[in-house]
Amino acid sequence: MKKLLVMGLLLLSYAGRAQEVDADLMKVKKRLDTVQQFTATVVLDLDVPFIRMPTKTAQMHYEKGKQTRFSSEDFVMLPKRGLDFSFDELFKYPFITVDRGTEMRNGQSLKIVNVIPTDKRAELALATLYLDVKNRRIMQSEINTRKEGSYTLSMHYTKPNDILPDYVEATFAVERLKIPFNFMGKDTKIDRQQMKAQDKKTGVIKIRIKEYRIYE
Amino acid sequence: MKTLVWAEVVKLAKQSKTYYALGAVFLIECLIFITAYYQGSTILDVLLDSLKQSFYFEGTLLNGNLILYIVLNGLWFNVPLIIMIITSGILTDEYKDGTIQTTLLQAVNKGSFIGAKYIVAVGFTLFIITFMLLSSSALAYSIFGKGDLVVYLQTLNFFPAADAFRRICWAFASGAVAMLFYSVVSVTLAVWIKEAAKTWIAAALFLIITNLLLKLDLGITIANHFFFPKLMDTWQAFFYNEIDWSSVWINNAVLLGYGVLLTSIGVWAFRKQDIG
Repeated sequence: MKKLLVMGLLLLSYAGRAQEVDADLMKVKKRLDTVQQFTATVVLDLDVPFIRMPTKTAQMHYEKGKQTRFSSEDFVMLPKRGLDFSFDELFKYPFITVDRGTEMRNGQSLKIVNVIPTDKRAELALATLYLDVKNRRIMQSEINTRKEGSYTLSMHYTKPNDILPDYVEATFAVERLKIPFNFMGKDTKIDRQQMKAQDKKTGVIKIRIKEYRIYE
Repeated sequence: MKTLVWAEVVKLAKQSKTYYALGAVFLIECLIFITAYYQGSTILDVLLDSLKQSFYFEGTLLNGNLILYIVLNGLWFNVPLIIMIITSGILTDEYKDGTIQTTLLQAVNKGSFIGAKYIVAVGFTLFIITFMLLSSSALAYSIFGKGDLVVYLQTLNFFPAADAFRRICWAFASGAVAMLFYSVVSVTLAVWIKEAAKTWIAAALFLIITNLLLKLDLGITIANHFFFPKLMDTWQAFFYNEIDWSSVWINNAVLLGYGVLLTSIGVWAFRKQDIG
């Protein structure tokens, strides 16, 4: 409800002032647009309360306009949202922006911009981006999708001129496991209160990205 | 003693019953494999269904390790029955054929005689478990290949392929302790009952009751931990993310203690018995 109210207000302000797309965001987008293709090795650490998974390694293959692919010799679980480092999905359809001022985060002054896709086909409903204006890149984002809930991304870059992050933390909501009793181990105890409390949990995937090969 | 044990080994190797038992174990394994393949897909569907909304998966979990885990779950009721039939037969056959009198009329110590029977029962059980581990691993990996293992025990636990196989080997070792317990129970039952068919019925009843008691809450903490039926699935401890080694060692030591106690009772009862 809160999100709808915010979105409504943002749209009203847009209608009233016929706002232009934020210039700093466009600079970031322009820089991201130079990345046509990249491959990288991703090291994944999944932190979900009811899943115990060891650290996994996979190869990531990105090509502009195409679905990002992952390949691994191991079994890997990848979140459906939060691995779009180039923000293709967000900038795919026309959008409007609202400047929300600046904020200090981790000792850095970041510009906050709301991005609202205006096309009905867009799967993303609202994104709040935290921009490092000086280095023209996105540091954090909070994204609300139309159908698949919300997630946040926190990015870390090694060098000031890096376009793509070398570390990303994606936080998302996960539905609890619904496992029939006959599949449970003999020692599994049923705690109904705990199960109810676990209806939705927050999961975090920590991704270290290395061995980038970027094609511009 | 060595001669007695060797004589028992030769007798066991010469009787067709032993090979029927090996064949039966292998047949059970094959049947569990077929059901495990179908059950495996269903288990994975159910386990991962609620996660499909948030994640997509790369790679497969329907592999030799999952099949071996399902096999482990299915073996511990059928195999003890076969082990108990064979190991009790080591003694009941002697009663039936009257060879026990012939042997004991010679300069053979009664304690050594029954001791050799227990030793051979233990050896045969360990042989069966090793056979199961080797044959099921060879079948599982050659048909389904290697890969990560997923198990649901309070949480969804994923184990890399090498770690999964290590845990499966430990689970077989822990299961072997439970099987040793069943085999000494069957020899002890044979000491009292003497007749093969009646011993089999008693052994089967013991197995069924033990399995029923495994799930029953006895209301007393110490009984829930150390009453022998509660120790039978210690092997499951290897599929928690963190293995509680102290609990594994204690449980198996207690179960071995039960085995030693029952062996002692069996040896004592046999020595007291009038063989004539």
